[in-house]
Amino acid sequence: MESTRKEIGNGLNINLTYTDKFKSNYLGVYMIRPLDRAEVTLNSLLPMVLERGTKNHPSTLSLKRRLEELFGANLRISASRRGERQIIKFSMEWADGRYTGEEGLDSDILQMFREVIFDPYMEDGSFSREYLEQEKNNLITRINNKINDKRTYAINRCIEEMCKGEKFSIYPGGYQEDVPQIDGKILYDHYRKVLSTSQIEIVYTGHDNNLNLEGIIPEEFMDREAVTFVPRETIVEKSQNRNQVRDRMSVAQGKLVLGYRAGIPYEDKLYNGLLLGNEIFGGGPNSILFRNVREKHSLAYYVSSSIVKHKSLVLLDAGIEFQNYQKTLDLINEGLREMVMGNFSDEDMEIAKKSVRTSSESIIDSPQLMSEFVFGKIISNDQRSLEEMIQELEEVTREDIIKAMGKVNLDTIYFMDGLDREVEHENN
Amino acid sequence: MKTIRNENLREEIYHKELENGINLFYFPKKGFTKKYAIFTANYGSTDNVFLPLGENEPVELPEGIAHFLEHKLFEEPDEDIFQKFSSQGAYVNAYTNFNQTSYLFYSTDNFYQNLELLVKFVQSPYLTEENVEKEKGIIAQEIQMYQDNPKWVVFFNTLKAMYHRHSVRTDIAGTVESIHKITKQDLDTAYRTFYNPGNMVLFVVGDLDGDEVIRTVENAGKEYPTTLDRVERIVADEPDEILLKSIEERMMTSKPLFNIGVKDRDLGLTGKEAVKKDIITNMILDMLFTSSSEFYNELYSEGLVDSSFGAYYTGKRTYGHSLIAGQSDKPQEVYNRIMAMFKKPERYLTQEAFSRIKKKEVGGFLTGFNSIEFIANNLTDLYFQDFLLIDYLDVLNEITFEDIITRFESHFTEEKSVISIIWPEMESGNN
Repeated sequence: MESTRKEIGNGLNINLTYTDKFKSNYLGVYMIRPLDRAEVTLNSLLPMVLERGTKNHPSTLSLKRRLEELFGANLRISASRRGERQIIKFSMEWADGRYTGEEGLDSDILQMFREVIFDPYMEDGSFSREYLEQEKNNLITRINNKINDKRTYAINRCIEEMCKGEKFSIYPGGYQEDVPQIDGKILYDHYRKVLSTSQIEIVYTGHDNNLNLEGIIPEEFMDREAVTFVPRETIVEKSQNRNQVRDRMSVAQGKLVLGYRAGIPYEDKLYNGLLLGNEIFGGGPNSILFRNVREKHSLAYYVSSSIVKHKSLVLLDAGIEFQNYQKTLDLINEGLREMVMGNFSDEDMEIAKKSVRTSSESIIDSPQLMSEFVFGKIISNDQRSLEEMIQELEEVTREDIIKAMGKVNLDTIYFMDGLDREVEHENN
Repeated sequence: MKTIRNENLREEIYHKELENGINLFYFPKKGFTKKYAIFTANYGSTDNVFLPLGENEPVELPEGIAHFLEHKLFEEPDEDIFQKFSSQGAYVNAYTNFNQTSYLFYSTDNFYQNLELLVKFVQSPYLTEENVEKEKGIIAQEIQMYQDNPKWVVFFNTLKAMYHRHSVRTDIAGTVESIHKITKQDLDTAYRTFYNPGNMVLFVVGDLDGDEVIRTVENAGKEYPTTLDRVERIVADEPDEILLKSIEERMMTSKPLFNIGVKDRDLGLTGKEAVKKDIITNMILDMLFTSSSEFYNELYSEGLVDSSFGAYYTGKRTYGHSLIAGQSDKPQEVYNRIMAMFKKPERYLTQEAFSRIKKKEVGGFLTGFNSIEFIANNLTDLYFQDFLLIDYLDVLNEITFEDIITRFESHFTEEKSVISIIWPEMESGNN
C-alpha cells in the first residue's frame, strides 16, 4: 500500500493512502505536544470539552445526533503518551457511500470534522463554563479510576518510580491537583496555542473519493509562524541499582512489574536486535518467560515483556500469588541470563522473526493501524517502508540479539502486594 | 459447495458439510493480508449439566470445566502447540464464554499448514493426571486476576441477582475451589460429548483458495464413528422473576460502579426471530442510553453519570438480559431515574431517534466488515443461533418503530430489574 506525504503549510503535512479494500474511510489529525507537567492536564481535558459541542451543534446531543445521521460516523478525540510526547488526536471513520446507498455525504462529514476541531462551542470568547466544570469533574473521576485496572496501574507506578526526573514519568492522564485552577480562558488560550504552534499531521486511509482534505484546515492555520517541534527523547543508559518499590493494597493477586533500561536508541541498528531479543524473552506464548514462569512452574496466567520504543525501556509484568514473589523474580532473572548467554535456539529466532513479520504485515488490513503506522514513522523520523523494516529484521543475527540483550539492565522492581502480608526474608 | 451471496453487502460465503462431519464456512476477503480461522465447539460455561455421548443419565461437572478444557487442548505429547504455530508464523489463541469455546489463529503466510494444525490439535486431546494438575495453578491466577477487576465483579453480581438457578450466574472460569475438583475423567467426558464435529463449526476468512481450504480440512479432520446433531443439555428451571432486587459489595475502586440488569423472559427464539429481537433491544438501549439521547444527557449534565455510562442486550435461547452500566456517586438515584423513565418513555423513544439509530447501526455494521476478526467472530456467534451474519442488514432494515414500542413494553419493567453496586473501600497503601 503506497502512501504519499505532502507539506501543505508550515509544520502541517498531509499523508494519503488510497485503497478500495475497506468499507469505510478513516481520517486522523494528530497534534504533537511535549509531555510536560505544565500542560498534561490541560491536554487531557481538551478532548472531553471539545466533544461537548461545536458552533453549529452547541451540545453533545446535537453533535452526536448529527454523527448518527451520517451513518454513525465515528468521531474520536484523545490525548495519549507517545514517548515524551503527548498526542492530541482527532479521528473520524465513516462508512463509504458505495455501501450505505447514500453517496455524497463525505463533504458533510469533513465539514463536521473541521468544525469539531476549529469551531468549538464558545461562550464569551471562552469555552462554556458549564461544560468545563462538568468535564473537570469527569477528568478527576477518570484520573482516580486508574486504580480500577490494577495491571495498568502497576505498570504506570513502575514507570513513575523508575523514570523520576524524566518527562516520561509524567502520568499521561493528567493530575488531579492541577484540575481546579483550570478555567475557560486558560483552557481556551491553551487550545489556541496548540492549534497555532503544534506540528500537525493529517493522515487519510480510504477510498479515493476526490475529497478536499486540505479543506478541513482553515486558511488562517495554513501558514503559521511559530511552530515548535518536540525534540527527540533523551535515553538514560545508567540503571538504578535494583530500586525496589512495594505498594500494599486490598487485592487478590500480586502484580509484579520489572523495569529495565536497554539504552539502545531506535535509530541504532542494534535496536532490531533488542526487538527480537525481547520477543524471544517475553514477547508471546513461545517466549522463555511464558514457557518457564507459566507453563513449567504454573506461577502466572500472564507474564510478558514489551519495549517502550522512544525511551528504550523494557517493561515486564506478571500476575502472581503474593508468596511467589521471590520465586518468580528468580525465574525471570534466570531467563534474562539465558538470553545474554545465548541460550536460545535458532528456531526461537526464526519464530520471533515470523511473529514480528506477521504483526507488521497485518497493519495494512486495518485503517486505524495504517494511520498509526504512518504517524509512528513520522515521529520517529523513519523513512523506511514496511517491507524494508521487515527485511532489516530478517537480517538480525544471534550476535546482535546477545549484544542487545546484554545491554538490558534491571532498574526498578515494583510489586503490588496484599495488605498486612508478612514479608518473608527476601534477599536480592 | 453452497454459495450464499448478499447483494447489498457485496459479499458472499461458501458452506460445505464435509464427510468427516465438520461444518465448514469460507468467507473470501479479497486484498486482505491476514487470514483467519476459528474452530468452535458449541460448549460454554453454561453447559455443565448434560447427557454424555452414549449415556442415558445426565452428569453435572464442576464449574469452569469448559474453560479448563480449552486450556488443556493446547497440550500435546510430543509438541508444543504454541511453538508450532509460531514457527509457522501464526498467532494462536482461544477463548471460552457462556456458550462457546473457540480456537483461532491468524497468519499472513503458511495458512493451509496452520489450518491443518488447528483442526488436528483441537481434535486430538492429550490429558494426563499430571498435566491436569499443573494447569490448576495457572487458571487459579486467571481467576484471581478477574477477582481484582471491579467491572467483572459488578457484572457477575448482576447475573447472580437476576438468576435463581440458570448456570449463566456462575463465573466462566469457575472458582478456585471448583477447578480444583476437576479431574481427567471429567474433561474426557466433556470432550467426548461436546467436541463431536456435529457440535462444532469452522469459519475461515481471508484472501484464499476455497477448494484448497476444503481439501485441507477434509484431510486434517478425524473420522468420528458417530456424529451427533445436538447435545442434550439440562437447563435448570428458571423462574421469570428476579432473585434479588439489589446486590452490593465493597472493593478497591475509586467511585461506586453499578450495573442495572433487566431480565428477559421472551425466550426460546432461534434464527431470524432471535436476531431480530436482539437488534431491536439493542436499538432501544441505544435510543435511551447513548450520548445522543436526551435521557443520557439529562443524567450527564446533572453529574449523575459520566461517559462510561452505556447499555447493551445479550440473549440466547435459554436466557437474556439488558445491562445498563456506569459509575456514579449516587447509583441508587440513577436506578430510580431509569425506573421512572421505564414508566414514561415517550419523550425519548421517538420515531426520529429510531430512524437515526438505524442509520448508525447500518454504518457500524459496514465498518465492522473491515475486520476479519469481526466477521469470523460474529459469524460464529450467530451461527449457533441458526443465522448467517451476511443477512444481518436485511433484518435490520425490516425493523419498524412499532417493533420497538412492543418490545419496550414487554421487556423494560421495574419488576424485572436489579441493581448491582460496588462501593469503594479506600485504602492508603504505602505510597
